Amino acid sequence: MQLRINMKDVVSGLFLILLALIGLWLNQDHNLGSARRMGPGYMPMLVFWIQVGLGTAVTLIGLFSGPDPLEKWTGLDMASLALGVAAGFIVWAIATNLGPFFSQTYNGVGLGVLAGMLVVSWSAGWRKIGLICASMAVFALLLEKFGFFAALIGLIIVASMAERTHTVRGVAGMLVFLLVLCWWVFIYELDIRVNLWPQF
Amino acid sequence: MELLIDNLAHGFSVALSLKNLSFALLGALIGTAIGVLPGIGPVATISLLLPITFGQEATTAIIMLAGIYYGAQYGGSTTAILLNLPGEVSSVVTTLEGYKMARNGRAGAALATAALGSFFAGSVATILVAASGPLLTQIALSFGPADYFSLMLLGLVIACVLAQGSILKAIGMVVVGVALGLVGTDVQTGQQRFTFGIPELSDGLGFAAIAMGMFGIAEIILNLERPEAREVLKTEVGKLWLTKEEFKRATPSVLRGTLLGSALGILPGGGASLAAFGAYMMERKMSKGRHLFGQGAIEGVAGPEAANNAAAQTSFIPLLTLGIPSNAVMALMVGALIIQGIQPGPRMVEAQPDLFWGLIASMWIGNVMLLVINLPMIGMWVKLLQVPYKYLYPAILVFCSIGVYSINNNVFDVYTTILFAVFGYMCSKLKMEPAPLLIGFVLGPMMEEHLRRAMLLSRGDWIVFVERPISATMLGIAAFALALMLLPNMRKGKDAAMAG
Repeated sequence: MQLRINMKDVVSGLFLILLALIGLWLNQDHNLGSARRMGPGYMPMLVFWIQVGLGTAVTLIGLFSGPDPLEKWTGLDMASLALGVAAGFIVWAIATNLGPFFSQTYNGVGLGVLAGMLVVSWSAGWRKIGLICASMAVFALLLEKFGFFAALIGLIIVASMAERTHTVRGVAGMLVFLLVLCWWVFIYELDIRVNLWPQF
Repeated sequence: MELLIDNLAHGFSVALSLKNLSFALLGALIGTAIGVLPGIGPVATISLLLPITFGQEATTAIIMLAGIYYGAQYGGSTTAILLNLPGEVSSVVTTLEGYKMARNGRAGAALATAALGSFFAGSVATILVAASGPLLTQIALSFGPADYFSLMLLGLVIACVLAQGSILKAIGMVVVGVALGLVGTDVQTGQQRFTFGIPELSDGLGFAAIAMGMFGIAEIILNLERPEAREVLKTEVGKLWLTKEEFKRATPSVLRGTLLGSALGILPGGGASLAAFGAYMMERKMSKGRHLFGQGAIEGVAGPEAANNAAAQTSFIPLLTLGIPSNAVMALMVGALIIQGIQPGPRMVEAQPDLFWGLIASMWIGNVMLLVINLPMIGMWVKLLQVPYKYLYPAILVFCSIGVYSINNNVFDVYTTILFAVFGYMCSKLKMEPAPLLIGFVLGPMMEEHLRRAMLLSRGDWIVFVERPISATMLGIAAFALALMLLPNMRKGKDAAMAG
């Protein structure tokens, strides 16, 4: 058999194996029990071993079922991905020392996600995914402290940067429309419990 | 028979209450809208609206969500016929003949065929759901834990066999879904599993967060990466009616499509898109007008459109009678029911007669509404198509974010959604189907429970799964289906059928 590598399958298979191995490692904490009286670790054990098997099969078959290369990511894409992940963790670590706003809630994580996603979005290949995820992080960061409207404004502005054809006027119009719509649906009709305005 | 009529009468009395009626209409309207719009499908929409349904009664919530699913089947055909662009996956094949008809100046006829065919199919399928529901429930009540486990396994296997692309990868995604379902407190011992000490995870990963991340947000990112190719409307819709000859040609196709669609809808992993593909293939081979295919044959619109709507309705059968979701939309319905405190399963028909019969009655009412929504009001939907995607995606994003936050009033869920958006994006770049994961996630915890119960009853003997006839049959079918699909010839056939 000739080696024709299906990169998509090989990477998928390796990914399945990796996830399963992490799962098996974490599962060491749980009591397996016996087949008759299954402990909390029994089902995870079965599931992860099946996953290892499947991952191996996908990888091996992938070596011969190609060629199907991955998308062509540039060196810049790869660099910004690595930098973004690093930046995310560093900012998270720093943020947890910045006082209770960041350390006692998920805001520290949020700041890390935001920083990481913004760095990732620097390269053209990740621009959309980076900015869309960043916009949701902005929403989550602003919502409880700065209120519903501030969070929505932040989300919409960051999200609209993902599409280059947006104009300032278009975004402004959309902003007003969506703020009114969301207020009507979520606050007036559904009455969700959330602060509308900044809390100090 | 009399009992059925009594039950249906009860169902109509539930469905015709002002509140349920207006939510059925709302569901149908939303469904049509997202059906018309390419780039947002029923899975994303229903997961987006899940949090909104918490405050409502279960019946009302399910009636609305169901309306979205079958409404999307109606709406999807409009875009397919007028723009040669499928509004939904299930209307991909409608573009083939429908758009040709539109170019021949018969757009009105194609739209009318699609709507009337869907209506007929929907009505028949609704009766089928009503008739088979109590029957299947009776059978299901004799199931033991081992039978349930095997049945769910069969469901998962068939869902994978019928998924697009590599079967092994689809099974891999199911297993990942089952693994994600393990996160949280173990029901029997109370031990925390895979929670990393995060209190929010002790109830398990949020269903809505996974669904929205993988189907809603990841879809947005992928759509943004694809350049928008939506043409401005050029075709005239014309008169929304069929000539006598067209009517004669379409009728047998609608009948065949309804039959095939109803059957494929019940199959796990089936559902609307598979039914439409199947019906198209059948019409191309069997219909009297098969020599006209490629030039705008009305049979090529009538068959698939009837089939996809029939399947959308009958795919509720396994959910309502056995508690087993047959596709991603039904997995979302399970999520909605569980959040409402209702465990889907064979006891639901008796325990929740309002829900069961009300839903069935509302399906028929919804189909009537959709006929009105789609035929006379077609112009409004055509206008909706002119809203560019760049104004649409921030709205979807905003709704997802607020929705997922409002489930627990916790930003943790928003971050989970981001994580699954990235995961969903990665999966699509690796050609891994996200739908099997969702089904695995829903079925996983139920499977674990039945497995443990079955093994306890059998004193740890695995033979119980082949000893019980029902269980053995299920496992046999599952093994057979898997073996079939591993044969190279069958796989090619399936891929060809999926590619239309």
